[in-house]
Amino acid sequence: MRFFAIYQSLLDVLLINCCVAFSQYVVLRAGVFSLATSGIVSIGAYTGAVLTMRYGLPAWAGLLAGTAFGALVSIILSLPLARLRGAFQAIATISFMQIVVSVTLYAESITSGALGIHNIPKLVSTGTLVVVVAALIWLLSSINASSIGRAFDAIREDETVAVALGISIVKYHTIAFALSGAIAGLAGALLAYNTRAIDPEQFGFGLLVIALATVVLGGRVSVWGPVVGATLLTLLPELIRPLADQRLIVYGALLMIVIIYLPEGIVDTLKARWSRKSAPPQISAG
Amino acid sequence: MTLLSLNNVERRFGGLRAVAGVSFDVPAGRVTGLIGPNGSGKTTVINLVTGMLGVTSGRITFKGDDISELPPHEVARAGVARTFQSIRLLRDLTVLDNVVIGFHRHEKTNLVENLFGLPAARRERREFRDRANVLLKRFGMTDYANYAAGQLSYGHQRKVEVMRAVAAAPDLLLLDEPVAGMNDVEAYELADLLRELVADGIAILLVEHNMRFVMSLCEHVHVVNSGQLIASGPPDAVANDPAVIAAYLGEARA
Repeated sequence: MRFFAIYQSLLDVLLINCCVAFSQYVVLRAGVFSLATSGIVSIGAYTGAVLTMRYGLPAWAGLLAGTAFGALVSIILSLPLARLRGAFQAIATISFMQIVVSVTLYAESITSGALGIHNIPKLVSTGTLVVVVAALIWLLSSINASSIGRAFDAIREDETVAVALGISIVKYHTIAFALSGAIAGLAGALLAYNTRAIDPEQFGFGLLVIALATVVLGGRVSVWGPVVGATLLTLLPELIRPLADQRLIVYGALLMIVIIYLPEGIVDTLKARWSRKSAPPQISAG
Repeated sequence: MTLLSLNNVERRFGGLRAVAGVSFDVPAGRVTGLIGPNGSGKTTVINLVTGMLGVTSGRITFKGDDISELPPHEVARAGVARTFQSIRLLRDLTVLDNVVIGFHRHEKTNLVENLFGLPAARRERREFRDRANVLLKRFGMTDYANYAAGQLSYGHQRKVEVMRAVAAAPDLLLLDEPVAGMNDVEAYELADLLRELVADGIAILLVEHNMRFVMSLCEHVHVVNSGQLIASGPPDAVANDPAVIAAYLGEARA
């Protein structure tokens, strides 16, 4: 049990990172290059923390409010983004993240500014996190197998084909934003109740890059992609502790190696290799 | 019965009139041909009908309704399916999944049922897979069901595109060079399948350079050149029309 006690907090971080990665994964899977996840995690975290600290609401209410508020903000954000694609979506959502950081810094009466909120009661244990991550894996697999997953695939691979088949891109992008926002809001509230302290800067560029890196590393099609990505990126700093000073170099090198040799992410590339072992007979026509 | 009707349709790209005042009808239960030299505006016509490009002026009616201003996904939902000149498949997905996506227009389950994988959504998914398997069998592609679409040969990929369009059970099917890259045997097989489809009552508008294929399928052909309709009629009459010969071979030889 001692082993578990030592690594329990690491496991907590890993599970929360999984949730953050799922949020980023949903939008990328639907072909949206949104980087709003970190901003919405922040909104979820502050929603949960403020509701509990100021109004004494129980954890379930804070988690529910964080999820709902995250989804709402994300849907509103999707309106001006509907006509943007690719790099332009990324730039617009990076500015959204900056706005959230600024608002949480300056709205001191609500967020206590740069000091952050501390001494949040520990309302979320490892057990809750395990249940949430398992539920999300189940929900996302269910979505992937459904008509929503099929529409996401079509839109991601080729928007022209999607509309030619009668798929409304605005509708499915809104669904993706709502899901991604709900998961990010939930992840934020879980983080606030688990780590017991939050401040504006921890939801800035660093978290944005980690959210994106987990999905790039793990893969954006299979639901196990973000899980593998989050596991690697969470455990890596522990594994390379002797190289702590060169941590960023190791991160960068790892990402470059993955992008060059496993361009679809670890899980999706390996899955594709596995299925491609048996190529179809190419006898007729060419 | 006229299903699709183009009425003085025009589309400009800046100063270029890619489609200049084209009018013709596409009746149900027949294959109508649309031919013309490269760059004459055939694919632009398909893009205008499907709503992927907006008309500059003119009217396009489908089943009597004006569809000139509809966004493309609503045109598709109204019952217009198409294939693409440059094959556009979801390359990493299996052949079966590519065909299943074609059924999107016929989904009846709602968002919640799909989000949580409720029985209704699972039943619908099974039904679509069964229907896709029937289509695969009809097109002789059962053996390829579980291969990634991108791995198939060119001719087979064309077939998958046609199957995906047929899965939508459209009233109007627009085929943009469906036999490019197929050998004659495959082309004749596809011609037989298309004849079955029009016998069931759907309308097909066929853009194709393979004249033997066009001749064998179409009772009526329209010829465009530089965005204008220059001839219409039965294929052999059109093939001997001096204006058509001039368009393909140049003025001097006409």
